[in-house]
Amino acid sequence: MNQPKILIFACKWCGLIGADAAGKRRASLPSRFRVIPVECASLVETDAILRALAGGIDGVAVLGCHMGGCRYNNANHTAVKRLELLQDLLDTTGIGRNRLLLSFGTAHEGYQFEELIQGFFDELTSLPPLDPWLSPFGVTR
Amino acid sequence: MDASERDYESKKEIVLVIGGGVAGIGAALDLAGAGQTVHLVEESDHLGGQVSKLDKLYPTDHCAFCPLWTDIKRCMEHPLITVHTLSCVKELNKETAGSYSALLLHAPRYIDEKKCTFCGRCEQECAESAIHPGWEHLCPPSFVIDETLCTKCGNCARICPSGAIDLERAVEEIRLSVGDVIWATGFKEADISHLGEYGSGSHPDIMTSMEFEEWISEAGSNRGAVITRSNGTPPAHIAFIQCAGARDLRMIPSCSAVCCMHALKQAFWVKRRNRKIDCYIFYTDLRTVGRDYYRYSLREFEGADIKLVRGRPGLIHPLPDGNGIAVQFENTMTREREIRRFDMVVLNGNIQPSLIQHRPAHPAGTAAPRTDEEGFVVEESGNTSDCACGFGLQPADVPESVIQASAAAMRITGKRSNPG
Amino acid sequence: METIAVFLCKCFGEIDTAVDFDFLTGELSNDPSVAVISTIDSLCLESGMAKIVSLIKETGSDRVLIAACSPLAKGGFVADSIAEAGIERHKIGLVDIREGCAWIHGDDPGGASRKARDLIHMGIASLQNGEMSDDMTVTVHPGALILGAGPAGLAAAVSLAETGFEVALLERSKDPGGMLRLISRCYPGDENASEKLDPYIKEIEKNPLITFYPQAKIMSMEGDTGDFTATFSSQGKDISIRSGVIIVATGAKIFFPAGLYGYGELKNVITQMELERQILNGSLETKNTVFIQCVGARDTKRPYCSTICCPISLKNASRIAGDVPGGSVFVLHRGIMTPGNTLEKYYRDTLSGGVQFIRFEEDNPPQIGGGDHVEYVEVFDAINGIKRTIEADLVVLSTPLVPNTDNVNLAKMLGVDVDSYGFFSEIYPMHPLETKTDGIFICGSARWPVSSDDAILQGKGAAIKAVSYLRQSEIAASTLSRVPGSKSGHARVVAESCTGCGNCVAACPFNACGLERMNSGFVSTVNMMRCKGCGNCVSVCPNGSIQIPEHNYRMVGEMIHMAFQGWEL
Repeated sequence: MNQPKILIFACKWCGLIGADAAGKRRASLPSRFRVIPVECASLVETDAILRALAGGIDGVAVLGCHMGGCRYNNANHTAVKRLELLQDLLDTTGIGRNRLLLSFGTAHEGYQFEELIQGFFDELTSLPPLDPWLSPFGVTR
Repeated sequence: MDASERDYESKKEIVLVIGGGVAGIGAALDLAGAGQTVHLVEESDHLGGQVSKLDKLYPTDHCAFCPLWTDIKRCMEHPLITVHTLSCVKELNKETAGSYSALLLHAPRYIDEKKCTFCGRCEQECAESAIHPGWEHLCPPSFVIDETLCTKCGNCARICPSGAIDLERAVEEIRLSVGDVIWATGFKEADISHLGEYGSGSHPDIMTSMEFEEWISEAGSNRGAVITRSNGTPPAHIAFIQCAGARDLRMIPSCSAVCCMHALKQAFWVKRRNRKIDCYIFYTDLRTVGRDYYRYSLREFEGADIKLVRGRPGLIHPLPDGNGIAVQFENTMTREREIRRFDMVVLNGNIQPSLIQHRPAHPAGTAAPRTDEEGFVVEESGNTSDCACGFGLQPADVPESVIQASAAAMRITGKRSNPG
Repeated sequence: METIAVFLCKCFGEIDTAVDFDFLTGELSNDPSVAVISTIDSLCLESGMAKIVSLIKETGSDRVLIAACSPLAKGGFVADSIAEAGIERHKIGLVDIREGCAWIHGDDPGGASRKARDLIHMGIASLQNGEMSDDMTVTVHPGALILGAGPAGLAAAVSLAETGFEVALLERSKDPGGMLRLISRCYPGDENASEKLDPYIKEIEKNPLITFYPQAKIMSMEGDTGDFTATFSSQGKDISIRSGVIIVATGAKIFFPAGLYGYGELKNVITQMELERQILNGSLETKNTVFIQCVGARDTKRPYCSTICCPISLKNASRIAGDVPGGSVFVLHRGIMTPGNTLEKYYRDTLSGGVQFIRFEEDNPPQIGGGDHVEYVEVFDAINGIKRTIEADLVVLSTPLVPNTDNVNLAKMLGVDVDSYGFFSEIYPMHPLETKTDGIFICGSARWPVSSDDAILQGKGAAIKAVSYLRQSEIAASTLSRVPGSKSGHARVVAESCTGCGNCVAACPFNACGLERMNSGFVSTVNMMRCKGCGNCVSVCPNGSIQIPEHNYRMVGEMIHMAFQGWEL
């Protein structure tokens, strides 16, 4: 049974508030996800998402603020357009759009974050694992 | 003259801002930005006032807490602002020309928010359920003890790992000498059970608009689901009653300014969460004056078929069969009278300036502000112990309150630069 | 050799009951870049902080990683306290192993421990690869430029001068006062409009700190927060003024309802402004007067309420009702917009003062009748359900204020936005006088139609915002943050690889990116005064030439690499 690994890019505002709230209410979630906080969801590069998927991470979630609510003057509008386009591309390459979860403003409460991430885990569990075929290049410790 | 040598900055006189809602926070931040020393007094245990209780804000439909918590954080962290929560102004007296002495009362905060790690062991330990988390969006979060339920058994203090709890703390009196005062005391909901036609208090599903806001809040116990209080199922019909208590010579002659948009916002959110719920708004004039408000009221998104009926219901009464609430009204545009059954009724309009509700406990002293018969502060020119802003001055929404707060801050800063 | 001091907080058992600290310590000791690993009961208590500070000094570590609670809890406070002890803020890393780990994986200690280890490794990666952004400091020019000398601009000018700052007050027309000059009396106090303006006008004449530039036409705007330069012409001269802030108080325009209700076709169908003029010059003659509200407003073309037209009608209707005995005054409306206490009382008083109100619906507006001048108005009274014909010698149309036609151009010059109606945009409703460019403020009807009283309040409000900038002798770009504390960073361009495609210029929400001509083409440049560090540019750059140093691609790549070390089950 596939035990998926998830990488979450969460904007420090709506995104992290939801994750934090889930923590405060002691939600129970599988442990195989990691959060990278970002200043704004618009900072999440396509490159980073593809790198994560290529490196064997089963799913990537991008959490941002809801439309019109971005502190950076609607920077998230561009982000959504770009990431939805990426979802289309993932479909055409056979990876599938359901490996990229977008939540803009729908996960700022603890229970919402919990439901979103648990749902993502459940979805990814039914998919076959992504074998790592590309190790992140050019990066050494 | 070098900016840092400006005369007003050398005056370290305090500006006392009374009320920690959006207006008070705005005034405090503007004053501190201009180099003034501010003491911000708030009676509840956190800043944010009425807006901190809202789920969403109009006309952006954003979560209310988000813009608020960052400004609260700025206030708490600003070196020139001292925040007094759980505090009130007991007395305000005029001293020598241009200064006042204020007596603040701090109710004891048994849990020191600087030491609290939010572990929650005190909450689990308390047999009286007297301990609960404070406002969710405070950074850092802490727990609060409800004094009315606390038996001072001391179990929580013993179990607290960081020693944050001290049940021996007592009411503290603080005397401040201040140069100017800004009243930003906002509004409170008024009891309209004596206005019989509204049925206030006669049925669990006849709620005030602030109660309804909490009831359908995403952060609330129902997680945004719209259900009745009486049996927990989704209502089929909700009636929003505008001008309940307001524009009413028996009680509040004024228009409360914010309620029309507030009802529209709540109705739109109800529809967003459950298209099938029928929403009626009973209004007199739909006051959509501010920026983008009129277009907000027109919003036709799919399924947002909100029924606007011009009329003030003559009777709102629980139905004898226990199945809902009867609302009797005349649609003044069609002149047809109807009685309709609703599952929930939201009363909007019964908000009054806080100061009217504090009489006679309203701050004593020679510099207490004059209020008119409705409780709004009357500003007298030349006097800066009665600068007011926000709902304490006149019914005002968020942008207007904040603008008034900035103007009050400028008035004081300008006066200080030019004592002559 | 970089040395990182790692501090693990037990949080009095909140973290170490779920996370195995022995396992963590063991895993981390294998890392050559970790100088010391210290486990502390509670980092946020004084004793904890003291221990951290002394250990840092002892080991001489130049980077610190804290694994504790969330940055929204005490984590942020701990990081700030360590910064005060002398470590640069960007060399302090914070990893959340409580809200983000121990508290949500309590039933899976093995998973929680591995996650904590991975999160700490990610934190170390971010510390090792994160860089510090550039910053710039601008000397603030201690003066303000105010565009528009209506009530808003005048109030702002006088307030700023009162506080000791120089003001350049530009006005398009010859005299100050804006639309208030054209009005006889103000609502609700029935003050004389020119008496209201007088103290302000006297002040701008006598106060040496205020320079008034009439007949001003802006030609160009340059510069940024703290140091703007406006070039304009005024009475035949070309002038260049530097200022630290700009206040836009350019007001709005009156709408002339050509083709509506017989305006322009029938005599004695006039606008409110024309009525004011007649009142001012004493030429008003009427017996039966009809006011019509929402003319060209709250319709499909201009779907907004212009705020002031209802109170203005109340004002003029009461005046005419009082001055013209035996005549009738009607106000035909679609809802009288008098929110609040003062205005609502004004409405009640007008109702009892003999003015008659008739409500009509948008889809059934009044009809004007007459030969070459108006004689009657037909209206379907929506409340009584009957058609009424009202004798009318004068019909006054309440029209909205509309945005000035050059708002769009001016906005472009300044680098601010206009909304879909054409008025200047604010950043959020909770900051209604601020724009997306720091140091540029909006007030009065340039922002949204308001009464002169409210315009004055907004002018004062804009002034206090301006004061917080002007009183600083220097402003560092990193302090112009949209969030509490400093910005997270500024974008930085690697000029060698930049192809000058311009994606970043288009994507930047703050107009911070620009293209500069170089020998071989164009290269992107970042204006740090405008850049907020959001990173939109980063994700649209085709080859990674623009990065936020604190969150660069090497760092992200390394964090992703460390996220699931070993790919264990």
